[in-house]
Order: sequence, then structure tokens, then C-alpha cells
Amino acid sequence: MDGNGEEIQFSWGKLRAKGGAKMDTQFYESFTLDNVKYSLYDCVYLFKHGDPEPYIGKILKIMEQNQVKKVKILWFFLPDEIQKYLRGPVMENEIFLASGDGTGLADINPLEAIAGKCTVICISKDKRNHQPSPRERAMADYIFYRFFDVKNCTLSDQLPDKIAGLKVSVLLNPKDEQAISSPSAINVPLNPNVDEGLATTVPPPHSAVKEEDESPNAAVPLSQPAVMELDANPSATVPLSQSVVKKEDRKPVVAIPLSQSVVKKEDKKSVAAVPLSRSAVKEDEKSVASIPPPRSTVLENNPEHTQSQNAHTGEKPPKRLKLSQEATVKDTTPAITEKRPLELPSRQADRSKWFKIPWDERLRMADEQGTLVYIQNLDIQFAAADIEELVHEALKLSCTAKPINHPTYDDPNNGKAYAIFKTKNDADVAISKINSGLVVGGRPLYCSKGLLKVPIPKSSGTFVGHLSLNIKIGQKQREEQKKAVSTSHCSQPNTIEYDLALDWMLLRAKQEKKFEILHKRHKDDRKGFANIGGKSAKAGK
Amino acid sequence: MGTSKEQASKDYADFEEKVKRTIYIDHLSPQVTTQVIKAALAQCANVVNVEFIVNYTIPFDIPSAALVELDDHIQAKAAVELMTDFPFIIGGMPRPVKATHAKAEMFRDRPPCPGIKKDFRLVKKGDDEYEVMMKLKNLAKKQESQNMALIKHLLDEEKELAKQQQEALDGNTKKYQMLEIVMQNGAIKNLAHRYGVSLDD
Repeated sequence: MDGNGEEIQFSWGKLRAKGGAKMDTQFYESFTLDNVKYSLYDCVYLFKHGDPEPYIGKILKIMEQNQVKKVKILWFFLPDEIQKYLRGPVMENEIFLASGDGTGLADINPLEAIAGKCTVICISKDKRNHQPSPRERAMADYIFYRFFDVKNCTLSDQLPDKIAGLKVSVLLNPKDEQAISSPSAINVPLNPNVDEGLATTVPPPHSAVKEEDESPNAAVPLSQPAVMELDANPSATVPLSQSVVKKEDRKPVVAIPLSQSVVKKEDKKSVAAVPLSRSAVKEDEKSVASIPPPRSTVLENNPEHTQSQNAHTGEKPPKRLKLSQEATVKDTTPAITEKRPLELPSRQADRSKWFKIPWDERLRMADEQGTLVYIQNLDIQFAAADIEELVHEALKLSCTAKPINHPTYDDPNNGKAYAIFKTKNDADVAISKINSGLVVGGRPLYCSKGLLKVPIPKSSGTFVGHLSLNIKIGQKQREEQKKAVSTSHCSQPNTIEYDLALDWMLLRAKQEKKFEILHKRHKDDRKGFANIGGKSAKAGK
Repeated sequence: MGTSKEQASKDYADFEEKVKRTIYIDHLSPQVTTQVIKAALAQCANVVNVEFIVNYTIPFDIPSAALVELDDHIQAKAAVELMTDFPFIIGGMPRPVKATHAKAEMFRDRPPCPGIKKDFRLVKKGDDEYEVMMKLKNLAKKQESQNMALIKHLLDEEKELAKQQQEALDGNTKKYQMLEIVMQNGAIKNLAHRYGVSLDD
């Protein structure tokens, strides 16, 4: 429908129905925002203005009313959010689906609040839920098997029958699992529903595999209402836990057990094998996409990143715009677009591009929130990605980090970096762990919280060594003076300033020597120490 | 994953190449801007990019520094040589800038160096190494503070020098001013007469 407005590409997908109290609301099954296709029951990230963390939700309805595009989102809770009611262990990547009735269950939000897709797999053992393969599980961004009742504020792992008026089976993983390469089309006839989007075209479990095309049906018995899109394309249905297998173009989609995505093929590429949780938005300029590509798969380009798809490292202050590009660069990891109230975190640490929010501001913000940690005694060769990875492996936490540039003054033995963690808690945990004895390559790290107080260079201040003349001569002189300040040149030995300049150079040479000596001494000390240490350890053993 | 390693190596190779053509200029006045640097270096090299380095760790007032990327490493070499042999002054004031070749660690946004060992261990109280590690840590901390102390000391020295020079300059200015005035108001004639010195000398 409306194509692109502003800078963010948008288009509606399949029309579903018209409805609403005054019959003025148009419901859709899908839409494409910034070249990422979203369908009903997809899990997405939403950002709220001012909140550093994204919310995760499932799209229940997509509609447009009076030119305003909205989505109804069923919320997932992060462990932090329901900490008070949590009992027992929480799995890594675990989130909780809202159930029951009341505030906090689902909300209607502007469509533009969506910041990307994610994969959420249900691992509940209930029979209505199709069990995910270990691979799917590993690739998912999040998993859930418990439900949080928003009214009673209780956790349960029993599947309720209905959530938000929808049969719960709709919200779980789709039955089928085959990662088939043979295309199969699952075409389920759409029932236009003239009312709230119940994807009631819930194809009777196991059936619905109706081919509209000649494509062999790979049996994909979707128990989930795949509201399939009939595009006359063979598509391998990907066992989507919630999404709809969409075929945009004629592409055989290698069925990848995607837990959530829609296997999207934006351009004629077969999204083969890329078990992308979010599809392909690859090489699309303007690749937007969602966030964290599933771990293993990932697209080439992820050096050893085993980041737990714990989403973003973000804490960003409000907004801005489209992130797109840049970061992705060779990484085919999609970037997330930013939408109005939101901003997008860059997921991959090895993208050297830090979106929008300049690092400095983030440092300050993080400091205020108590999530900033200053790590010292690193190897100065470490780059941002190395540090983040290290933190991830060693502490199982994710963060964004940047090493401090190493100007000449800094001790070359002692590398430093700032790391911003997701929550204050993370930061505290990290600090205690690191301080209590994290050793990297033979160097014990130590860290502290917060920003070092560093005087901001006054841009108008006088610089040491820059002399000024207090001449009270007429205007003319002053102008010349001004001009003199802005010229740069190599000083020749026939001016007064040459002598002065030489003085400085002399001083500088002396300084450098001093530093050299000091740093060398440090290095030797360290080596000596390490040796002694090594010896005593061996002796001790 | 093979490709990612290759990619990483390639990234790093590109980066290293960039490092080769970049020079690091120190002792810049905070007033110096990109434009000024470009103009200054225009005589010997073509500047592609200038990145100022933000001071995060040193709690004193240190002069600004910048990483200037030039066209190729020959230019970089020439520029550095020029600036070390002769006092190169940017911004017109007697304190010359210092230039050296850039090093990889100076860049903030650097790609990870492939092949860096990142092994880590969590060492706990009871372990053999714990003692050693604690000592090393303390050593590192001590060294860090020594470093800071040195920096402070050097900064003080610089201030001294600057003060000296300023005083000398002021003195000279006064002298010249005086001469100027004397010349202007003709008192010189009287003086010359007094001392029996001819004015034409």
C-alpha cells in the first residue's frame, strides 16, 4: 500500500481483512519494513524511547487505521523484568511469554516501533508444541517454555489454552521440522477473517498441506497456522515456530529449520542454507534486518563469535535513524534499522561501526547507569572484537567494548579498555569476576567501574608553549598577529622562534627518553615476575 | 568459518596498510582543526583523513594528538622525516609538533588481529598461581601509577619551559617597545647627543 515514505522503506504484504468497530481498520498478514518482511506471529524487537533494552514481542495483529499503522504485540518478559517472581534457575536465553489477562499482556504499538526480527523457540514439552531440534535450539535467539501470567503474576510451565484470545497452538513452534531441500509448498487457503486477526486459518493439524502448486509437499504438516502465502512458489516450509513461510519470489527455499523466521528471500537468492533466523537480508543495501543472526550459522563473517544471542549490546539513548548499512559491510550480518523512537543496537561486535550514538555519549550514559567498566592490563594489541569475545567467553556476558587508543604516553605494557555491559548487574558480576582472578595470556586483568575523570581540553584555552604577546599596538598589528597564529611552517634557523622551537624539541627528546626507560623497566619487571611466578608455581607443583 | 578467518586476516591486512600510511602527530594545540592540519601538511603530503584522539585515560591536561592518514606510505615517511629534522610548527607558535609513524594500537576502531592468543583462565584463591597473579596485578598497578607520575612530571617540565620562554619573550618585547618609543618621539636624538654617539650607526 503505501510505499516508502521518509527514508524507511515500507510496504504492506498480504491483505487480510477489513474490520474494526467502525469497519475502518484494515488488517494485514504481513508487511515489509526496511526490506525485512514481518508476518503474523513473528517475534520482533521493539524499542522504546529512552530504554536501553529492547522488548521482545510476538506480532498478533497487523493493521492500519486512519493512515496509522499499528501492530498488536504479545509480550515476552526478560528474566530481569520478572525477577521478583522468578523461582529456580533460569536458562540462558530464556524469556517468558505473557499469558493471562491484564496489562502487560499485549499492547498495540505503532508499527514503526519494530526494530527487527528475532527467533524465539518454544521448548515446552507439551504435545501441542513441536519439539525443536537441537540445532534449532542452538540457533535461536531466545527460548521459552514458561508463561508469566500478568494478572496473578505467577510463572507456570503449563500451557494455557488461550492467550490473548488466540489458541495457544498458534503461538508455539510449527509442527514441521524438516530441513528439506526439496521445495514444498504448503499452501493453506487463507480464510479471510473479517475480524480480529485470528489466524484461524489454522489448518487443521497436519492437514492443510495443500499444494497449490505442483510442488511436492514435503509433508509439512504445519500445525501452526501458517497463514501461508500463496505465491505459487515452491518453498520448503520451514518449520517456523511462528511464522509464516513466505515466499516472496520464486525461490526454492531450502527449508531451514528456522525457528522463526520467515524465510525470506528478498531478492532472488535462494536463501539456502543460511539458517538465518532472520533471513536473508543479506547484501541488500539497506540491509536492515534484524538482529542477531543465529549463532552457529552465521554467516560467514563472524569470527569466532559465539556470542550468546543475547541480543544487543545496546544501551543507547534515544534514537535516530536508519542505521543500515555501514556496519554490515562485509559482514553479512544484518544491521538493524532504527526507527523513530528507537535505536538499534549493533549486534556484532566486530562491526567497527558504532551506530549513531557516538561512543563518547554512550560512555557517559553507561557511566550514569552504572554499567561502565574500565578494564586494565590488557594486551594492547587487542581490538574491540577481541575484548568483547573475551568477556563473552570468560564471563558469559555480552558487552560492547572499545580499547583506548594508545597515545605515546601510555604504558605499552598496560592496555586499557572501556566496556559497557547491558545491565548494572552484569557490570558488577564482571567486575567481581575479573578482579578475583581473570588471567588473560598470562596477564591478570583488573578493572573498576566508571569513567576516569579526564579534563576536557578547553578548545579556547591557551596551549602550553604557545606564547602570546601582550602588545598594545594598533589594530594593524593585531591582525597580523591573528594571521600569524594560523600559519604553519617549518621554522628556519633565522628567526627567534627557531631557538624557542629548538628548546621544545630538546625537551621532547628528553621526555621520550624518560618514557622509554620507564617502560622498558616495567616490561623487564613484568617478565621477571612472570618468570619467578612460573618457577614458583612449578616448584609448588 | 574458514571465510571468516580469511576475512579477518584480510581486514587486518587492509588495516595494517592503512597504519603504514598514517602518521601520528602529537603536541597539537587544542585549537588546531582538521583544516589546519590539512593545510599544514599540504606542502609535503596529501591528507586523506584526520582523526583526533580523545584522551580517556590520562587525568591531566595533555596536548592534543591526531592520526593523519596520508595518501601512501612514502608520503608518510617523508612527512615524518620532515617533522623530526626540522621543527614543524602548526598554528604559528613556537612549540613544534611531534610526528611519528602510527602504530596499530593507536587506532580505536581497529579490526581484530587474527591469531592473537586469547586464552584466559579464571584463577581462584587456592590455586598455585593465585599468589603470583595477585603480585603481577599489583605490579601492574604500581607501574601504571609510576607512568602517571612520570607524565605529570613531564607536563610540569613543559610548563616550566613555556614559562621561561614567555618571560624571555616578554622581556624582549618590552625592550623593543622601548626602543620603538624612543625612536618615535625623537628622544633618541637627545640620547645620541648625550652619549656622543652618532645616529647613523
